[in-house]
Amino acid sequence: MTTVITSSTKPPPPSHPIDVLNNDTARLYTHIHPVLVLSLYAFQFKAIVADPIPALTRTLIPLSILQIAYVAICLPPTGDTATAVPTTEKRKPGDKKKAEKGKLEREVGAKIIPAFLSLIIASAAAIPLLTTILILFGAPLTTHHAHTMLAAAHIAFLATLPLVYVHGVDGATWREIVALLKPVDEVYGGMIGTVVGAWLGAIPIPLDWDRAWQKWPVTIVTGAYAGWAVGKLLGGTLLKGRKIVFE
Amino acid sequence: MDKKHGETQFKAAHGLLVAFLTLIVVLHALGIYLFTSGFLLTRIVLDHRSECAAPPADGAAGSPQRGCWHPKTFEKAVVVLIDALRYDFTVPQPAEQAHHFHNALTVLHETAVAQPRQAFLLPFIADAPTATLQRLKGLTTGTLPTFVDAGSNFAGTAIDEDNLVSQLRRARKTIVHLGDDTWHALFPGHFDAELTRAYDSFNVWDLHTVDNGVSEHVFPLMHAANASKWDVVIAHYLGVDHAGHRYGPDHPAMAAKLRQMDAVIRDMIRQLDDSTLLVVMGDHGMDAKGDHGGESDDEIQAALWMYSKQPRFGRSSPAYAAPPQTAKERSVAQIDLVPTLSLLLGLPIPFNNLGRPIEEAFIGPAGADYHNLATVSRLTAAQIYRYQEEMASVQSMDEVARASSLASFGFANDAWDAAVKAADAGRFAHVYELYTVYQQETLDICKALWASFDLPRMLNGVTILTLTLVLLAVYARGVAGDVSELSPQLLSRGGFGALASSLIGAALPEVSRQHSIIYAVAMGSNLGIASSFWSLRRRLLFLLPTTIWGYLSATFAILLSVGFAANSFTIWEDEILLHFLSTFGLLSTLSSFRQPNMTDRVLGVYHSVLFVLLSRLASLSRLCREEQMPYCQSTYYASATSSTSATWQLVLPLIVALLLPTFIRGYYDGTLSYQNSAIMWLGFGLRFGLLLSAVYWTLDAADDGEWYPSYGGMLKTLKTVIAQVTLAIAIGVGAPTFIWAKPFLNIEEGPPHTHKPHPSKQIVPKGPNSGASIAVLGYGNVHGSRYAILITIWYLALALVQKPMGAGALALCAWQIFSLLEIVATNQLASSAIGPVILSLMGSFHFFKTGHQATLSSIQWESAFIPLHTIRYPWSPLLVVMNTFGAQILCAVAVPALVLWKQQPRKKGLLGDVARAVATHILFYASVSLATTMWAGHLRRHLMLYRIFSPRFMMGAMVLLVVDLVSVFVAVVGMRVSSLSVAEVFGVTM
Repeated sequence: MTTVITSSTKPPPPSHPIDVLNNDTARLYTHIHPVLVLSLYAFQFKAIVADPIPALTRTLIPLSILQIAYVAICLPPTGDTATAVPTTEKRKPGDKKKAEKGKLEREVGAKIIPAFLSLIIASAAAIPLLTTILILFGAPLTTHHAHTMLAAAHIAFLATLPLVYVHGVDGATWREIVALLKPVDEVYGGMIGTVVGAWLGAIPIPLDWDRAWQKWPVTIVTGAYAGWAVGKLLGGTLLKGRKIVFE
Repeated sequence: MDKKHGETQFKAAHGLLVAFLTLIVVLHALGIYLFTSGFLLTRIVLDHRSECAAPPADGAAGSPQRGCWHPKTFEKAVVVLIDALRYDFTVPQPAEQAHHFHNALTVLHETAVAQPRQAFLLPFIADAPTATLQRLKGLTTGTLPTFVDAGSNFAGTAIDEDNLVSQLRRARKTIVHLGDDTWHALFPGHFDAELTRAYDSFNVWDLHTVDNGVSEHVFPLMHAANASKWDVVIAHYLGVDHAGHRYGPDHPAMAAKLRQMDAVIRDMIRQLDDSTLLVVMGDHGMDAKGDHGGESDDEIQAALWMYSKQPRFGRSSPAYAAPPQTAKERSVAQIDLVPTLSLLLGLPIPFNNLGRPIEEAFIGPAGADYHNLATVSRLTAAQIYRYQEEMASVQSMDEVARASSLASFGFANDAWDAAVKAADAGRFAHVYELYTVYQQETLDICKALWASFDLPRMLNGVTILTLTLVLLAVYARGVAGDVSELSPQLLSRGGFGALASSLIGAALPEVSRQHSIIYAVAMGSNLGIASSFWSLRRRLLFLLPTTIWGYLSATFAILLSVGFAANSFTIWEDEILLHFLSTFGLLSTLSSFRQPNMTDRVLGVYHSVLFVLLSRLASLSRLCREEQMPYCQSTYYASATSSTSATWQLVLPLIVALLLPTFIRGYYDGTLSYQNSAIMWLGFGLRFGLLLSAVYWTLDAADDGEWYPSYGGMLKTLKTVIAQVTLAIAIGVGAPTFIWAKPFLNIEEGPPHTHKPHPSKQIVPKGPNSGASIAVLGYGNVHGSRYAILITIWYLALALVQKPMGAGALALCAWQIFSLLEIVATNQLASSAIGPVILSLMGSFHFFKTGHQATLSSIQWESAFIPLHTIRYPWSPLLVVMNTFGAQILCAVAVPALVLWKQQPRKKGLLGDVARAVATHILFYASVSLATTMWAGHLRRHLMLYRIFSPRFMMGAMVLLVVDLVSVFVAVVGMRVSSLSVAEVFGVTM
C-alpha cells in the first residue's frame, strides 16, 4: 500500500525533518531502541574497560543488528518519503493478512537491504574518516590504531548508519548534512549528539584518578553512546525541525 | 587639506586608543604585582658555608676528629626516615580507643620510657609545605623552604646552600643513602656510589619494594664487619606514606606496615654499636585520608626518636620522663634536627640554620648539664646571628623586630659572660633560655618574611584583575558601534579616577603605604572606566554570546580557565589546546561548507582542513614535563635526557627557509598582493634571513658537538655574527620595508575584456572617452597584505631564537596564522571574537610546541647567547622572553590582520574593529591569568602548589604582560603604520 503512494509522490524538499514511520511499531520501537543500545553498552562496559579491542569488536555485531533493526523498523529509507506523509487511508480488515505477507517480502527488499547497504557504506566511508579525525584531535598517532578505529566504528554505526539510510549518498545532500544545514530530527540529532558526546568524552582522560575506565578509547565511546541517546531523544522531540544557525 | 585633516584626526584617535590600552596594561601590571608581592614568597639563598675552623663564637676551635665547634658525642649515625610517620602512630593507646595505626609501632615509646638516658621520643613539627622534597630541604639546611629560593642554581632542584649532607661530605665522611631517590635530586654526587641504593618514589601503590630494598641493604651495613665502610647511613622508608596515600591511616595495611617498621627498628637496636647514633623520624604526618602537603595539625606532626647504646641523653625534669602524650606538648621543630645532629657528630652548623639544639640531646644523662646546653645554644645562636647579619645586607627585614631580636642576643651574651665570670653553674639554665629566646625571635622574623602569605595583598590583587577583566570584556564585546571613539572619555575618567583615589590611598593608615596606593589607584581607575561605561549604558550590549562562534570562544576560555583548578588539566594543557584547535578547525570546515559563494566555500574548507593538519603536525613536537611521564615522549631534543637537537632536526630550519616564504607568497598571490616591496621582502629578505638562521643552527650543532674541534673558537664567532646579521635583516631591512613601503598594488591597463575578474581587482575605466580600463591589482586586500608584512618580520626574529625543532613549530604557527586569516575572511568572521581567541589558543599551543612547559626548568636560558657572547642588559632577558613567549608574541602581532585581511581600502571603522580584536585577544589571556592567579591563591596549601599551580600562575602573569605590551605597542602601533600607508593612496577613512 505504501509503495503505491511512494511511486506517485515526489521527494520532499531536503529541508524537512525526517519523521519516524507512521505506524505503532515504529513509534514504539524508536523509544525502546536507545534503551536496548545503552543496555547493550552497559552490559559490555566492564569487558570493554578490561580489554577494549576484543570487547569493542564483539559489541559491534549486536550494535549493528540493533541499528539495522532500528532503521528498518522506524525510519523511511532514502527516496522513500511516503511514510513521512501521514497515511490517512483506512484499511479494510480483510486486506490485512494478504498485505502483511506481501509487505514482508517488500520490507526485506525495501528496508533490510538498504539498511545493510547503509552499514557497509557507513563502515567503508565513515570509519576511515572518523579515525583520521580522532587522530587529528589528538588520538595516538603511532600506537593504539585498533582502539581508535574501533571507536570510529562505534561512532559510525551510531551516527552515520541511520543518516546514510535516510539520506542516501547524494553529494549535495551530504554537503548539507556536513554543513549542518538540515533541520534537526532524531537521526540528525543522534549524529550531532554522538559527536558532541565523543568530544566531551575526552575531558576525563587527563585526570589523575587512576581509573581503568580512563583508558583510550573508553571515555570517547561512552560519551558517544550517551550523546547519541540524548541527541536522538532531543532531536526527535524538543528540537525537532529546528535549524542550526551559526551567525 | 582635507586629507591632512583626516590624517591628523586618525593619528589623534589612534594615539588615544594606544593610551587607553596602555592604561589597561598598567592595571594588569598593578593587579599582578599586588598579588605576587603577597603570594610569591622569596628567600634569598646565601652561598656562605660554615667552616670547621671558624666557630661563630669564641672558644676552642676543635678539629674534625674531636668535633669542630663542640666535642662530638657520636662517631657515626644511622638516620632512618620513615616517610609520613605521624607522632600519634608512636604513642600507645588503650585498646578500646585504638585505631589501626595505634599500638603497632611501639618500640620508640617503649625505649624512651624504659631507657630515658639512651632514648627520647618527641613530636617533630614540620613547616608547610609538607611535601617530601621541601621537607628534606628543611631537615638538612635548617631553614624554611619558600617557592623561590633565589640562588645561583635557579633551574635545578639540587640544594646549593649549606646543609648537613654537604657538611658531612666536606668532613670526608662516607654517606650511604638507601631508599627514596628524591635525595639524589637534592644532593647529586654526595653519596657513596658503591653502597648507595636509590629507589623510585613515584609509585604510591607499591607499599613494599622500597622498604624491602632498604632493609635488605641496611642490615649488612650495620654488621660489625662492614662498620668501617661508612660514617652515616640515611635510610628512607616510603611504605607508611604509600599505605597512607593508598588506604588512609586507619587501615589494616597501615598497621601491618607499622609493625614491619617496629621490627626493623628493634633489629637495628640489636645491631647498633656503642659509638653510633640511631635516629628515627618522620618528615611529615598525614591527614585523615592519608595525604599531605598542607599545614593541618595531622600533616605537620611527625615523630623524632633518638637512640644510643651508651647513656648520652637526659631529661631536664622528671615530669618529662615519658614522651608527651600528644604532639601539642614539648614539641621540637624539624629544623632543630640540623644543629642537633651537626653538634652530636662534631660538624659545623650549616650557615643558614635557624633551628636550635634539642634539649634532651645535650642536657646529659643526669638531666642537669646546663653548661653544655648553654654552650651549644650559644654556638647555634652565634651562627644564627652571623647568618642574620649577612641576610640583612641582601634582603630588607622588619627593622623593629630585628632590633628587638638583636637586643635579645645582646642580653644572652651578657648573661653568658656573667655566668662564665662567676663560674656559677646554676646560672647557665637562664643563659640557655635567653639564647632560645633570641633563636625564636629570629625564626619568627624569618617566618613572617618567607612563610606567610599576605592575604590582603593577594585578595586586592585578584580584585583589581577581576574588575579589569570585566571592564575589558565590556569594551571588547559589549559596546555597540565604533569603540575607538570612546578612548578620550575612558582615558580621562580612568586617569582621573586613578589620580583622585591615589590621594585617598595615601591617606589610608592601616596597611602599608605602597599597598594602599596601588590598590586605590587601580580601583579608582577601574571605577572611572566603569562610570564611563555607565554613561554609555544605552550603547551596551548584553555580554552573552549571540553566535555559535561567540559561544565557542567563551567555551574555550571558560573551560580552560576552570580546568586550571585541576593539576591534571594544567599538566595536559598542550593536549587540551590541540583538542580545542581541532574543534575550531572542524567547525570552520562545517561553516565553510555553508558558504553560498563557491570560491569562499572551497577556500574556507581547504584552509580549515589545512589548519587542523598543521595543528596536528605541530603537536608532534613535544617537550614533556615530569608529570606527563610515562604517557608522553619528548621529541624536542635528540633524546629525553639531552638538551641538544638531533642532527636530523637541523634540516627543519632549512626546509622552513625554502618553503615558508613560498607559502606566504601563495597567500599574497591569492589576493594579487605580491607586488613591489612584498616581492623584495618575502621573495628575498625573509628567505635569506631564514637561511642564515638555518646556518646558525648548523654551526651551533657543529660547535656543540665538536665536529671540528680545531675550529671551535672560529665557529663560535662565526655563528654569533650570523645570528646578529639575521636580526639585522629583520630590524634593518624588514622594519624599514614595513614602515616605508607603498601599499602592495599594481596596475594593469587594457581593454575591459582583457581583465579577468578577480575579487581582489578593481576595474575602473581609464578616462571618460578612452576604451581602455585600468585594473587595480591587490585592491581587495590592500590593508591586510600591507599589515601582514609585520607578522613575517617578527617571525624572522623570533624563529632565530628557537631551537631547530622550535623553528619548525613556529613556522607551522606562522603558516596557520595565514590560514586562519583566510578562514576568517571566507566565513565573514572579522568582527567575531573567535579569530582573536583562536590566535590566543594558537599562541598558547605553540608555546608548548617550541619546547616549553609551564615549569621553571623548561626555560631555555641559553637562548640569551644566540647573538651575544656575554650577558648584556636589556638584550639578554629580552632574548629569553622572545624564545619563551615567541609563539604568543607572533600570534599577538597577527591580531589586527584578522580584521584587515581582505578588507576594502575605504572600509569604515577599522580602528575600532582592530581595538576590539586586540582587546578580545588580551581578554583571553587575562581570563587565563586571572584563573591561574585565583587557583594558585586558593590552592596555596595544595601539595602540587610548588610544582604545578605556582609555575602556571607565574607563566600566566608573564604571558599576559608580554601579550599586553606586544598587542599595544607592536600590533596597534603597526596598524597605524599600515593604515597611514594605505591612506596615502586611498585617503583616510575613519
